[in-house]
This record gives sequence, C-alpha cells and structure tokens, in this order.
Amino acid sequence: MAHASIEVRDLVVRYSSVVAVRGVTFTVEAGEHLTLLGPSGCGKTTTLRAIAGLEKPTSGEIRIGGAPVFSSSPAVNVPAERRGLSMVFQSYAIWPHMSVFDNVAYGLRVRKRPEAEVTTRVREALELVQLGELGTRSASKLSGGQQQRVALARAFVFSPSVLLFDEPLSNLDAKLRAEMRVELKELQRRLDITSVYVTHDLEEALAISDRIIVMRDGVIEQIGSPGEIYDRPRNTFVADFVGSANLIRGRRRADLERDGLVVIQTQGGALVHGIAPDRPPGDEALMAVRTVRLRLERARPATQVNVWPARIRQRVFQGDFTQYHVDWDGRVLIVRLATPDPLAEGDEVFVSADPRYCVLLEE
Amino acid sequence: MLVGGLAAVLVLYPIGYLIQASLSVGDPQARPPEAYGLDNFTGLGRYGHIFGNTLLVAALATVLAVIVGFTMGWILSRTNVPGRAAFEQLMAMPYYVTPLMGALAWALIASPNSGVINQLWRALGGEGYLVDINTPWGIAWVMALFEGSVAFVMIGAVMKSMDPAMEEASQVLGASRVRTMLRITLPLVLPGVLGAAVFVFAEMLGSFSAALVLGLPARFYVVTTAMYQLVSQYPPRFPTAAAMGVSLFAVMFAMVWIYRRIISTGTYVTITGKAFRPRVMDVGGLRWPFLGVCAAYLAVAVILPVLTITYASFQHLTSAIPRVANFTLVNYKTALSLDAVGSALGNSLLLGLATASIGVPLMGFLSWLIYRSRLPGAGLIEYLLMFPQAVPRLVFAFGMLWAWLIFPIPIYGTLWLLLIAYLTVFLPLGLRTISGVILQIDRSLEESAQMCGATWGYRLRTVTMPLLKPGLIAAWLLLFIASVRELGASILLMGPKAKVITPAIVESWFSASTELTAAMAVLQTLAVVAALVLLFAVARRAVQHGGE
Repeated sequence: MAHASIEVRDLVVRYSSVVAVRGVTFTVEAGEHLTLLGPSGCGKTTTLRAIAGLEKPTSGEIRIGGAPVFSSSPAVNVPAERRGLSMVFQSYAIWPHMSVFDNVAYGLRVRKRPEAEVTTRVREALELVQLGELGTRSASKLSGGQQQRVALARAFVFSPSVLLFDEPLSNLDAKLRAEMRVELKELQRRLDITSVYVTHDLEEALAISDRIIVMRDGVIEQIGSPGEIYDRPRNTFVADFVGSANLIRGRRRADLERDGLVVIQTQGGALVHGIAPDRPPGDEALMAVRTVRLRLERARPATQVNVWPARIRQRVFQGDFTQYHVDWDGRVLIVRLATPDPLAEGDEVFVSADPRYCVLLEE
Repeated sequence: MLVGGLAAVLVLYPIGYLIQASLSVGDPQARPPEAYGLDNFTGLGRYGHIFGNTLLVAALATVLAVIVGFTMGWILSRTNVPGRAAFEQLMAMPYYVTPLMGALAWALIASPNSGVINQLWRALGGEGYLVDINTPWGIAWVMALFEGSVAFVMIGAVMKSMDPAMEEASQVLGASRVRTMLRITLPLVLPGVLGAAVFVFAEMLGSFSAALVLGLPARFYVVTTAMYQLVSQYPPRFPTAAAMGVSLFAVMFAMVWIYRRIISTGTYVTITGKAFRPRVMDVGGLRWPFLGVCAAYLAVAVILPVLTITYASFQHLTSAIPRVANFTLVNYKTALSLDAVGSALGNSLLLGLATASIGVPLMGFLSWLIYRSRLPGAGLIEYLLMFPQAVPRLVFAFGMLWAWLIFPIPIYGTLWLLLIAYLTVFLPLGLRTISGVILQIDRSLEESAQMCGATWGYRLRTVTMPLLKPGLIAAWLLLFIASVRELGASILLMGPKAKVITPAIVESWFSASTELTAAMAVLQTLAVVAALVLLFAVARRAVQHGGE
C-alpha cells in the first residue's frame, strides 16, 4: 500500500479566545506509526484534525508526501476529502442508515471503483477485521466492538496514504480494549501504512507506536520511542503522566561523577547515581525512577551504587503486582513488585536501582 | 450568507414598516407618512380597557394552562398511572385541534342562547343560561385547553430530566413525602414551570382566533381583535392599529426575553449530563383517579370539540337532543356548492404544498447554516429568524400589508403574498423542527464521509440528507398543516380573488349559519387528511418505481 510522510511545522490552531495548539513541529516518516499522547485538552486531537483537514489551523505548514496541504503563507488549504487520508473516529461515526457493507464500501464508491472490485475489497477488509459474515447486517444493530471494526475496515479499505486514529478504543470496555490493541497492532503491520494515533491511554501508546509525542497545553513535551518516553522522561510532567514514578530531589555532586553517570545527594544524605541525557547542568536537581524499576531485597545486593537500607511501611496487594510504601531517607518511596514472595510490613530491606533507570529531569 | 441575508430581509422588512406606520401622525391613509410623531402611542390611553382585557384573558388562560400542564406533567412523568406512554402521545392532540376549532366547538357547546349545555339547562327547567362562553372566562378556557398541551410538553420535559436520586436522597435523610415534594421537587422544577408560564403568557397576548370568534359577539376586544377591527373598518385606522401592534410586540418581546433568561439561568435540573434511570412513584390506589384526570382533559380538549363540530355539521339546527328529522347533509351540499369554499380550499392546499416544499429546503439550509457551518454571525442570524416567534402573526401580517403594498412587483392580493407571509411566520416552527434533528446527528458522521474522500455534494446526498429525512418529513407535514390552517396572517393579507379556507370559515361564522361553518371546518380537516394520504401514496409509489 501507498506510504506518505507527514511534516508538521510551527502549527498553531486558535479558536476565538483559546489557543489549542501553540507552535508544534514534528515529522512522521513514511510507514511510521506515531502516537500523540496527552491529557484531555492538550491539543492532540486538534493537531490530528488539522492534519486531516477538519480543523483549519491559524498558521504553520502541513505537508503530506512532500506536498503542502496547508500553509499559512503562501495560503494553501486542501480540503479534507482531497488529502487522500483516512480516519477512525472516537465515536466510530458508523452511518446508521446503511448496511455494514455499504458503510465499508463508501470510500471505494466515492472513488468510482467498479462494483465487482468494491465487492471483493469490502469482503477482504471485513475478513481482515473478522467481520466476514456481517456484511448485510444493518449498521445500527452492531455492538460497540463490532462498530469499531467496521469503522476500521471503512477507513483502510480504499488504500489511503495515511491512517489517522482519534482515540478509537476509548469507548470500549477495558477487556475489549486490550484485545483490540493487539489486533490493531497486527493490522498496522499487515497494512504497512503511515499512521498517526491520538490517545490519552499510556498502555495503548506504548503498545502500538514506533514513536510517541507527549503533549501538554498545546506544546510538545517530549518526542521519543516508547522505551525512551517510559524510561527517560524529560521532565516531571512526562515522568508523571507516563506511568508512576518516584521523584527524588537533591543537589548535584559533580565531584563524585564518573563513568558518564551523574550523582545527586538528597537532603537526608543519600547518594543517587543516574543518567542525564542532554540535560543542562545545574545545582538543584530532580531525578525520576519508575516504581517498577526499584528492587526490594532482604539481603544486600552486590552492586556498588544505588543500594540503600529501608523499611516497609505498607503493603497493598493489587493483583498483577504488589505496591510497597517504603520508608527511605526520611520520606516514602513507592515500589511495585510482581514477585510472588511477599515482604511483610515492618521488614528491614534494601532498596536498589539500576542507575540507567534513574533519570535526571529538566525541571 | 446570501440566503441568510435574504431571510433576514423577509423578517425585518415588514417590522420596519410596522414601526414606520406606528409613527405616522399625518393623514392616516397617506403612504409614505406625511409626518412622524408619538401621538399614536400617547393616544393609546383611550384603549386602556382593551389592554386590560388582553392581560386579563392571558393571565386567566396562563394560570389554567399551567395548572393543566403541571398536573398532567407530574402524573404522566412521575407516577405509575396506567397507559402513560399512550397518554403522552395523545397529549399532542389538543395542539392539533387549534384554538379556532376549539372556539367554534365551545361556542356550539356553551353559548348563552343556543349552546348545548344551556339548551339542556332550560330543558331541565332552568332559567336563562347556565354558562356563557362569550366572556373573558370562556376565551381563557378555550385557550387554556389548547395551551395546556404546550405547558405539558415544557413542564413534563423538566420533570423527566430531574434525577430521582435527588428526591430519594431527601427521603433517605428522613424527610416525609410532603416535605420532599415541597423542599426538593418543587424548587427543582420551579424554573421550568415559570418558563412555561412566561412562554404561554406571551403566546396568549398575541392569540387571535378564539378572541375573535368568542369575543366579537359580546363586543369584547383584546389587542389583536381590536387591531383587526381598526384595519378592516371603513375608513381603516392603520397608524393606531400599528401603534397597538408595536406595543404588543414590545411586551411580547420582553416576555420572550424573560423566558430565555429563565431557561438559561434557572434550570439546575438539566445540568448534570449523567445518565439516570427515570423512576416513577407508586401512587397506589390513586392511579385510577389520576387516569381519570388525564382522560377528562383529553375529553374536553379533543373529543368533545371534534364530536360537537362533526355532529353540528349534520344538523339543520344544532339541538342538544338528537332527532332523526334534524339530521341532514344540506350543510355539506351548501358548503361544496359555494364557490368561495371550493376555490379557497384549493388555494389553501396549493399554498400548503408550496409553503412546505419551499420551506423545507430553505429552512433546512438555514438550520445547517446556523448550527453546522460555523459561519461568523450565525448566532445573529438565528436570533433574527426566530424573531417571528415573538410577534403575533396578525401584527406581522400588518407589517407585511404595508411593506408589500408598495413592492414594485404587484403581489398584493395574490397567493404569492400569502406564500411569502407563510414562509416568514413559520420560520421559527420549521427551524426548530429541523435543527432539532440536525443537532442530534453527530458531526463526525459527516466528517467521516469527508475523510473517505466524499465531496460536499456527495456527502449531502449520501449521508446528511438520508439521516435528516425523518426530520425533514416531519417539518414538511407541520408546515403543510400549519399553512392550510393559518388564520392571523391570512385574514389580513388575502385578496378578494385569492381566498383561503380558514378566514373563509371565520367569515361564514359571522355571516352564515353555525352548522354550515361546522361543515366547512370538517371539510377543511378532511381535505388536509386526504391530501396527506394522497401525497404519501404517490410518494411511496414513486419510491417503489424509482427503486431505492
């Protein structure tokens, strides 16, 4: 299928009094799966709709496959229907007055494909989303999950150059959402198509993206692979939004730094070794460690750095993991462990952390 | 933009002329006015009693209608009275009976001399008359029966939107049922009730037909009937009538403004978007009396009037006790042989067809413009187009009378003028019906068609129009029925060679026999029904032949 890259430069979208997107720049490579992640109101959906052509930006430039589809100077604004994109909507937007087949066939009929081809391709698409036998069903009589699949099939059946997803799974219940996540990833791989995906769900973003853009208040906070976003958050917002993290405040001890690691000392005196990818130097420092990257052991581990004695204050069993609240350095650290062997409240333990997972933040 | 502007001209042009006429202090017949001044307004003091009458009738009818609406609303949306769903549907019926039909029927039932009730009273040995419909009370009664269904719809909606958990919370905290009703339910629905009262009051101020039919015999005038009298007498006194119209319009506009304020600020009830299951109160043995209340309202507002008119139309002289010799078809024979009726009915149906067929695309486009296009100034256009709602149709028609008299193309006295009038005065009706459907259709349904590559026209044809179809059909029907039965605007604007049916019925009421009038009213209703059946049959056949 056809690929196209997307370039967004200095995109600004302003409604009468609010600025939804304030100067956003990024590129989606041909065939790449990019996700815009952020809380509601961060401008991610507006950015997606601007790419789609459903929202007219105030300024900036958008290019698809190298050709400008929007530009404030010189003025270009290609209407949505001529951008060659496709989109899956949050509400599914399945037309209730048509059958499943007619819904899916719409894009092909718009393109005036011969009816024989329409039939074959709609069948293929429905097979691909596992709705092979539902073609003649009226679209208004579908369950949420089925509507979702119809919306998917309708979006890719006509081989668009880019597929846009606007929180497509947010209306499904948790179990179905987890299933669809896997299916969506499989589908993306098979279709081999450029895609931009909008979500506020971290797991969804981590699961299906090549790259993630974290947004807040209309600006980009961080761009990176799922691994980078998760383990190397750039600032407190990303560290906080992308899963749960412990934030440790301290002062830089440049005198102790070796082997490319940075060292901070907390008020309580603990030394924490970590990494500082492209961070500006400063005296005051804040470090983030994911709750799942900390270890708790009864015996002192053999590592040289980042091992501290601590005491278990509270244990909360949560099924997939157990959350421990640990007294450490005059404060509480939160540690999540998936190990079945439980530690008891009041136990004296050692907390340790691989310095690669202790990340110096920018703010 | 052009269409929006055009529609705005339709609305503002007549109102401009109305105001101009009200300020004319020279020769009342002179066009344009020779001199301007406020004398017409200061001179309105002489008509103080007419304004008093209007307020009296409107207040009486509003109180009655709100009581009816509140009672029915509470019974049908908050209690487990049997047959709730069916009754709720039937509650629309009084609205279709129209004040004119109601007034004709109640004149037959309760006029002091020949009314059926008073005939029975005298037959039982009574003296004089028991009830007199030709009084402010009578007019208010007929109007309240009609407006009761309007109040019901408005109050019932508020009651339904109230989360029963609010009442339950009060009961759980130990409050009695009465205390809950007084301290929780009533304050919560009060803004809705108040809103309905103001709305009904405003409508009542501008009501015309019942006051005309029932008030004129007793020389009891309200503002609209007085205006009609001033315009139709010889020599006509346009400036005084215009000043009356402007005053009435100002009061109604204030009422509508208050209504909007109440609706936008006062409804705590509808604020939560949370879904809740409507639960109803078990009223036990009271269910049957409540059922009786609902049935009684429908009986006096719908069944009795319709039966009375139908019965009278087959009588030589309407008498309370049916006698075989008194039954006749002569009224229908006369009605059908009257050229005025035949051509007027034909004209009305033709106008209804044209109004609905032009109105639906026009108003559909305007609704889309207002609610979907995100055009700058869409809010202003909406405000303008809803304007005719605040102006009694008679007052509006008066403005049009002047406006189109001097129009370079001679349309005055033709059906064209009536067509323009109908399209203008029914703008709010059509817009509200169609926009209700447009707002229900999620924007993403159109956007997804766009993302599939469909152009504007293709989207409109394949997605927007099919989804709008039920709403458009409903709007078409409403416009058709409303046009065929229109009185307030038609009575002023129709020409001697282009009559329409409803004013013809009123004319016959005042100049010919009651029974003949009843026959004409039945014929009008039958003609509407027949036209609709025929249209649907033709439409269905066309669809079948054309293939879907």
